[in-house]
Amino acid sequence: MRIPAPAWIAVAGLALATVPYFKLPAFYESFLYLIFHWIVLATSWNILSGYSGYFSFGHGAFFGVGMYTTATLAGKFDVPFLWTLPAAALLAAVTGVGLGWVVFRVPRLRGELFALITLAVTFVIGTIILNTPIDGGPGIYLSAVPIPAIMPTASATFYVLALVMAIGTLWIAYAIYHSKLGTGLFAIHDDEDVAEVLGVPTFRYKLAAFAISCALAGIAGGIQAMFVSYVTMGDTFSIVVPLNVILMSVLGGTRHWLGPAVGATVITALLYAFTAGDFAVAGRAAVGLILIVAILFLPEGLLGRFVRRRRRREPSPQPIGAGIAAMPATFAAPAQAGMNPLLEVRGVSKAFKGLQALDAVDLDVRRGEILGLIGPNGSGKSTLINVVSGHYRSDQGRIVFQGRDVAGEEAHRIAHAGIARTYQIPRPFAHLSVLQNVALTAMFGRAALDSAAAEREARYWLEFTGLAAKADALPEDLNLHQRKFLELARVLASRPTLLLLDEVLSGLTPSEIDNAIGTIRAIRDRGATIVFVEHVMRAVMELTDRIVVLNYGRVIAEGKPEDVMRRPEVVTAYLGKPPVGKPHA
Amino acid sequence: MLELDRIQVAYGAATALWDVSIRIAAGELVCVVGPNGAGKTTLINAIAGLNRIASGTLSMDGRNLNRLPRHRFCDQGIAIVPEGRRLFSGMSVLENLELGSYRRAARVYRRQSLERVYSIFPVLRERLDAPAGTLSGGQQQMLAIGRALMAQPRLLLLDEPSLGLAPSVVLEMFNVVREINRGGVAVLLVEQNVAMALEVAARAYVLEEGRIVAEGIPKQLLAQPHIRRAYLGEAPDS
Amino acid sequence: MSWPSLTLLGQSLLSGIFIGALYGLLGLGLSLSWGMLRQINLAHFALAFLGAYLTYQLASVGGMDPLAALLVIVPCFFAFGAALHWLFARFSISPFNSLLVTFGVTVIMESLIQWIWTADYRRLESHYGEIKFRIGTLFVPFPELLTLLVAIALALGTWAALHYTDLGKALRAAAEDAPIAAAFGVNDRALALLLSGLSAAFAGVAGACLALSYTLAPSQIYAWIGVVFAAVMIGGLGNPIGPLIAGIVIGSSEALTMAVTAPAWAPLVSFSLLIIVLLARPQKI
Repeated sequence: MRIPAPAWIAVAGLALATVPYFKLPAFYESFLYLIFHWIVLATSWNILSGYSGYFSFGHGAFFGVGMYTTATLAGKFDVPFLWTLPAAALLAAVTGVGLGWVVFRVPRLRGELFALITLAVTFVIGTIILNTPIDGGPGIYLSAVPIPAIMPTASATFYVLALVMAIGTLWIAYAIYHSKLGTGLFAIHDDEDVAEVLGVPTFRYKLAAFAISCALAGIAGGIQAMFVSYVTMGDTFSIVVPLNVILMSVLGGTRHWLGPAVGATVITALLYAFTAGDFAVAGRAAVGLILIVAILFLPEGLLGRFVRRRRRREPSPQPIGAGIAAMPATFAAPAQAGMNPLLEVRGVSKAFKGLQALDAVDLDVRRGEILGLIGPNGSGKSTLINVVSGHYRSDQGRIVFQGRDVAGEEAHRIAHAGIARTYQIPRPFAHLSVLQNVALTAMFGRAALDSAAAEREARYWLEFTGLAAKADALPEDLNLHQRKFLELARVLASRPTLLLLDEVLSGLTPSEIDNAIGTIRAIRDRGATIVFVEHVMRAVMELTDRIVVLNYGRVIAEGKPEDVMRRPEVVTAYLGKPPVGKPHA
Repeated sequence: MLELDRIQVAYGAATALWDVSIRIAAGELVCVVGPNGAGKTTLINAIAGLNRIASGTLSMDGRNLNRLPRHRFCDQGIAIVPEGRRLFSGMSVLENLELGSYRRAARVYRRQSLERVYSIFPVLRERLDAPAGTLSGGQQQMLAIGRALMAQPRLLLLDEPSLGLAPSVVLEMFNVVREINRGGVAVLLVEQNVAMALEVAARAYVLEEGRIVAEGIPKQLLAQPHIRRAYLGEAPDS
Repeated sequence: MSWPSLTLLGQSLLSGIFIGALYGLLGLGLSLSWGMLRQINLAHFALAFLGAYLTYQLASVGGMDPLAALLVIVPCFFAFGAALHWLFARFSISPFNSLLVTFGVTVIMESLIQWIWTADYRRLESHYGEIKFRIGTLFVPFPELLTLLVAIALALGTWAALHYTDLGKALRAAAEDAPIAAAFGVNDRALALLLSGLSAAFAGVAGACLALSYTLAPSQIYAWIGVVFAAVMIGGLGNPIGPLIAGIVIGSSEALTMAVTAPAWAPLVSFSLLIIVLLARPQKI
């Protein structure tokens, strides 16, 4: 039986808690306090920034809010110190959520722009604090505030407080890492738009991670305020805190819950080792060098390698056969029985910068059919898929799915309703294994399974699409055919009612195409309804019950494949008729 | 003049072109047709130096170009009109044309080349200072062709020039291509609009799933079931 | 809050314009490399300070004319900038990672500066500092005026080069679509090295101007980062003149704010502007 990591952490924590009783020189307690302090800051930062990829440069702001909350409440209003800590957490979390609520709604503010805006917010908050009665300039003295007598000495008390915070923060990071929230965050990291379309409630999850991250930083700030007993703006609202936590997390590995703690320990130890005189400067230079080397050669951090290797060594916990036999063979029946079309598209239009991609498109998708959607390049097929799945918002028109108009809804809600789509150029989550990619949709899609059931579901669909042997591989190890089938397995795992396949066959060899045709037929036989965008005519003729032809964003024909493909307007759209007035000889 | 001998080109992790051999003689107008995903753009980009050739040879006048750095391809007299135009949309019409003649040998003739482009596409002269991104689809296509002509090419590569253009503009454009070819410039035309392409070309290749499956003069090819099948999925009615 | 005199306001505005010019000068190199090369060079500031310290050293200790020091600084910094880009290209570093790597470089440089020149304040006393002009009741110190003139000259010169020379147009084309530019003969890789070197050289020039007017301390490096980033983002990435105008606007606003209210409110101006711009017009590059 494997002992879970949090138990190890608790054991280590208990061991470390005995340190004050050894009556060592004060240096050791201060040093360890610092390590715990930075473990909390780096790990809490990583919960948002490492997991989701939204690198915040503003961690100093929330740390500072926590510091000033404690300083103000304890120093000016005589609130007992320990009671100020929840207040610090709350205020810091509220600040973070307030910021996130505005910023996360603007889709362009990712990457370096998110970093910049969080940095700017740090300086704004700091300036406000400096110039208002909160601080006013001279800072706040806390030496008169009584320190709770948890341990025999003050130094030991802070030591234990920091230790408890470090353990708690690590537990929280571990829990999130293994939870649905964590999986969603990692998906957001790799491809936020795809995550949203597959059913991850991205906005909510980012806010949740941000709130937790800020709350923990706030408490760390509160403790630090008492520890240094004199709080000023300059030390708090600067670029130093965010840069340190980024460095520590990147060095240790941002994709692992323990990474930042490892980085924090290494960096703090290094900086401390160089404390004396000249070496302090050399120490800082060494830290800078380590960061550069880490980015260039160890982009996944010290633990990153470790995470990868472990994933490959873990054996499958279940024999494959057992999984298949236990699976129900059909998709859930559509909610509305009867003859109404499953999907009704009415008058849908979409324009991009003057180009009319879709022009008042009307079409129906009937239950249980395979509908082919064809047309020359630029006719709007992919745009239609994007609009129906919620990737884009239509300018006009209704999209009625099972009796409900879903036009304009958030993509993850459309996914929950039962619509799933593949991408023409496969967009797997690059850092998640094949199995995790598929299990994700099982967790977040219409089926909404818990993680154990999702994994079983995922293994079933990997078997179905022939990818079972590659379950633990990363998408980059797959060839194009396998990646297309990964896309397919991924959407199947959400047990959708309506499946939108976007050029699943392009780039495949003839024998791979035969294989795929058989698979798609099998999917329909299990009860799914499929809209099938394709250029490979052979497949369209063999598979589809009806086809719809688009040209220049408009529907120009609809009906049985053999009939439609003979109509002159369709022939012209594809082959192009030389118009009246041929090119001069 | 231009010879591709059994080339193999990758696109990302997959192989996009297998064992492709194509010849274009000086002054010839050759077209390559085929369904989407066949590898037509990969082919054009390989000839222009934008895609690396994994095996086989690409040679011009007998000189192997495989290892040439990509900014030296135009010195061989190769100019490209890419799929989707790929104009420098932040720059003006005039600047786009000037960039076309960036290479030293062409820069000397910039003035004459500009006049020639204006005579073929008069509308460009009227919009010299407009940012390229503000032009209509047809005008952008003209600018893209004009930019390539500024490079004084011996071989003009055209990648799906009719894409996104209204049918009336397409006719005009193909006339222009014919005229350019008559001026002595060899043309390799890749097109989805098969009928138009076969009207103007002297010879054609059919590319399917990365391989050449047919080659010959347009009349012969249209009689074969290949093209109808590739595009419409059925043999023509007997 | 008493309303200050017209002279005081005028002098504040003037000093705001001068410091804004320095923001623009610092922002010039940053804007070029971020906008056209997609590399965010945080080390730009440390580089500028290194240039400032070198100017100080060559002038104070070496007895050189501070402006002549540029003859040494510019070529060395150019080489450094080219080498930095080479590193980024060699390791295919993403724009965000370039931010992190250059932070590492910043820390190393700052340590180097502190090791050589210590954390003590350094002030370059040159004959330039003694020259002052008068316009009405206002004083115009020569070093600041020089900074303004240099900033304008370099911004306009860069803009002109980018728009009127073949090389400049090639640079803009390569920044937009490198493969197609290469297809027309533009050696985009060589041009990228050139541009990166030029940005670093501009940092050196900014450093020399810095040394003439300001007291130097290693900790000061970080003080400029926020406001210059604000100027660059507001002025537009890749635009040589934008950061200068934005810098002057920010500098003047800060100075007037300081004159009318307490000095400590000044940072609020630039950062609030940055936040507003990011929210209202967040199109990247």
